[in-house]
Amino acid sequence: MSKSNLRDEQFNFELRLKAVLYLIMAMLAALAIRFWVLQVSHHQVYQQQAENNRIREIPIIAPRGALLDRNGVPLVDNTPAFNIVVSPDLMTGLDETVKVLVENLNVDRTDVVSQLADPKRPKSQPVLVKQNATQADRQWVSAHEYEHPEITAEQQPQRIYKYRKLASQVLGYIGQISSTQLEEPKFQEMGYKPGDIIGQAGLERTYDQILRGKNGKRLVVVDSRGRTIRELQKVDPIKGQDIVTTLDIDLQRAAEEQFDVTGQTGIAVAMNPQNGEILAMVSKPSFDPNVFAEHVISAENRDEVRAITKDPNKPLLNKSIQEIYPTGSTWKVMMTTAALEEGIITPTGSRFTCGGGIQVGNRFVHCMGSHGSPEIHYAVVHSCDGYFYRLGLKMGVDRIHDWVARFGMGQRTGIDLPGEKTGVIPDREWKVKTNPRDPVWKDFDTVLASVGQGSVAVTPIQLLRAESGIIMGGEFHTPHLMKEVKPTEKAEAKKYENKAVTLKLSPVTVETVNYAVWGVVNEGGTGASASLPGLNIGGKTGTAQVIAKEKVRTKAHQDHGWFISFAPVHTEQKPELAVVVLTEHGGQGGRTSAPKARMIFASYYSKKLGHPVARELLAKNDQPTQIRQ
Amino acid sequence: MVDFSRKTLRDLDWPVFLAPVALTLFGCVGIFSASPTTDFWKKQLVALVLGVIVAGVFAFTDYRKIMVEAAPFFYAAALLLLVLVLTPLGATLNGNRAWLRLPGISVQPSELAKVATILMLARYVSQKREGGLTIKDIVFLTAIVIPPVMLIFLEKDTGTVLTYGPILGVFLFLGGMRKVLVGASLVVVVAGLFAVYPHLKPYQRERINVVINPEKVNSRGYGYQTIQSEIAVGSGGVVGKGITHGTQGRLGFLPYAYSDFIGASLAEETGLIGVLFILALYTIFIWRLSLIALGSRDRAGAMMVMGFVGLFTFHIICNLGMVVGLMPIMGIPLPLMSLGGTSIISVFACIGLALSVRLRRFVN
Repeated sequence: MSKSNLRDEQFNFELRLKAVLYLIMAMLAALAIRFWVLQVSHHQVYQQQAENNRIREIPIIAPRGALLDRNGVPLVDNTPAFNIVVSPDLMTGLDETVKVLVENLNVDRTDVVSQLADPKRPKSQPVLVKQNATQADRQWVSAHEYEHPEITAEQQPQRIYKYRKLASQVLGYIGQISSTQLEEPKFQEMGYKPGDIIGQAGLERTYDQILRGKNGKRLVVVDSRGRTIRELQKVDPIKGQDIVTTLDIDLQRAAEEQFDVTGQTGIAVAMNPQNGEILAMVSKPSFDPNVFAEHVISAENRDEVRAITKDPNKPLLNKSIQEIYPTGSTWKVMMTTAALEEGIITPTGSRFTCGGGIQVGNRFVHCMGSHGSPEIHYAVVHSCDGYFYRLGLKMGVDRIHDWVARFGMGQRTGIDLPGEKTGVIPDREWKVKTNPRDPVWKDFDTVLASVGQGSVAVTPIQLLRAESGIIMGGEFHTPHLMKEVKPTEKAEAKKYENKAVTLKLSPVTVETVNYAVWGVVNEGGTGASASLPGLNIGGKTGTAQVIAKEKVRTKAHQDHGWFISFAPVHTEQKPELAVVVLTEHGGQGGRTSAPKARMIFASYYSKKLGHPVARELLAKNDQPTQIRQ
Repeated sequence: MVDFSRKTLRDLDWPVFLAPVALTLFGCVGIFSASPTTDFWKKQLVALVLGVIVAGVFAFTDYRKIMVEAAPFFYAAALLLLVLVLTPLGATLNGNRAWLRLPGISVQPSELAKVATILMLARYVSQKREGGLTIKDIVFLTAIVIPPVMLIFLEKDTGTVLTYGPILGVFLFLGGMRKVLVGASLVVVVAGLFAVYPHLKPYQRERINVVINPEKVNSRGYGYQTIQSEIAVGSGGVVGKGITHGTQGRLGFLPYAYSDFIGASLAEETGLIGVLFILALYTIFIWRLSLIALGSRDRAGAMMVMGFVGLFTFHIICNLGMVVGLMPIMGIPLPLMSLGGTSIISVFACIGLALSVRLRRFVN
């Protein structure tokens, strides 16, 4: 009855109600279809997204391998440091994160933006934004883990150079891989990624692949705030392999002190001529690599780093291998060897006039003394230029060039350091190429070339390798700094493979040269100030002209002083230490570099013979040190 | 008046009663799973028991008495409570000032106000004798809705304000509003949505954008909740990850997994099977309520029940629509399942009233 009442109305209530009901049913059906689409059709995609949500991969930075001296003393190692790290995938917004980093953690805005906004970096890779976080920084981070789960403080290894400036150019430094490096194929092949910290110079760079190890990772379940709930899997990082270098920390320190006490710049390299192991390598001025280790982020913008990289004195330059100098009279060792081998002179039978110099064309080239008409031994001992001018003219430039090239002049030695220079050894072709207005090689050029002046320019390491090889009787070893690579659980030990280049030299030649360099030091020659009684040091001085003599005005115009030396020579034993020293703008090598070499020998022998190195004596650098045998 | 004879119990529309009980229990499972360390699920069970009692009382009371005699008091009381929410007695939760903290209990007056408003609307219809609605009727019906809407708007509970739309709509449409006006109203509503959009707050616009254009929204911004909800639902698959094994809900990627997003949480853990179970129960519930309305002996009872249907359906569609990314986030809970005692009790009150309509279909 009630129903009929309803039907009597002017509109169809029942129809309208059913319309509402069917509309509702249709909407419920639509919902069911939508659930079907999400849960069945697209299940895989969402399943993956849910997994990505909950599982995070946290890299564990592998500690770099240490660099040790030849006796196992650590030179470069790692120290735990707290770094502030940002996980870009947890950021709600770049601006917000940058704002709090700048305001609360004292991070530089430009630096952090360049790091975080780098489109090349995968979002999942944590980004280092601040090194050496303070206690206050860490407290702030842990107090704000809810608001800013993307910011964390993590303990990571930091590189430490234990002896600061010591051997800095040899050890090198580390830094973040640059965008230009990332584009180079050789870096891509080695699998470097944006943000990686790599060796940028020295041994750090040469042996980066050995030192860097392999990062580990933690797979963890995290909640929506990025907080770790539990760990699923942990892959431990593989520490980089330690490298035992050929350096001897005591000898290195002794060599460094020679320059430190006088405030001079220059180089000193000590090498075992029997195998090419470098025991000390100094280049002054030097720098503290810790500055780079402490500022890996946007290093190019840091004042501390710029103070080093923009220093006009170029402390980063390893002058032993990256700077070229005229050899000056140290060249005469090679000239002597070549002339004897060519049969142009004999040890005692051949004399050339000194004449205080030589007239070539319209010019007169001076000798620094007046030596009469000496034979070869006297000419080397007293560094008679006049003798060598005439010897050079007799040999001719082609033979001179041919021989020094055989000794390795003008070529890289292959030392295991990056950036080695080749140097310049002029010959006829070179003159045509570089001097088109005066392309013909003249006697004047030969005269200069016979005493290592003019355009001759080589790296100190080249000279050291060449003349050590001659003193060794024609056995040339590649100078190197890696002695061995220590094994880890995952990587094998490695030793430096030493391959000598041999050049057949007659024993008479070798003994003549040995005797001559012995005489330089022990017979009152130009290197007398390097003498240590009973040690049979031999050497040769040299002066590398910076500018023509008549133009010298300031200290910067003064000549560089060379001294290359070997011990023992002119004995039954083979030489065991070769030392080259170059004092920049120091004047004559015999006065500035020979005493430094002597101290290096003194230090070497006192350690070898079990005596403490007399540090205060080393530092004085004036009186001959008493070596008890 | 209250008649507990065996015949009455047999006549009771059991599905309309049992489907909501089942939904509430399933909701408790979801609440427990999403928030196992709290006693939320126990509170929900207590509310269910109270709700069943309220439903019983209302079922065996003549709905016309309640509608005609009690409705004005309910309506006035609800408005008073809504005013009290705006006083220091009110409490803010999740940005909405929707709670009234009384000693030992907190209630959500807006939930009660919905039911009171429906009763008040039905009362107006019951006093009319003739057929279709006049302009005057439309104005009066709208006037009943305005006070609670204004108060709830002041509480900044935009989602709840919107629920009054379909309630009024059901009364106007089923009350016999002329087809031309129905069409015109729809046009006004659609135009209104477009007109309001530019004036929304940025986060509200973002919540709408994520539905329309999910790719263009910052996944960690205001679209985050919708995206995470879809991931939760989608990753559940057909059979789900198992109760208490949902990763989205348990690890906090899914926000409010025990209240607004309980649908997503259960979809993740029980899969499509669980979802279809829930949808089937709601369908049965809505269907049977509509049959009660169709069978009602008077227009007012039918309208009242359809008011409830409009209210529940709007909630279900909006909430589950939000969960699957078809609707923007509006803070509308899932009836019977989302955590909220006041809501459960008021829904069961509605069920009681509907059962009362059913029991009295032949009584004169």
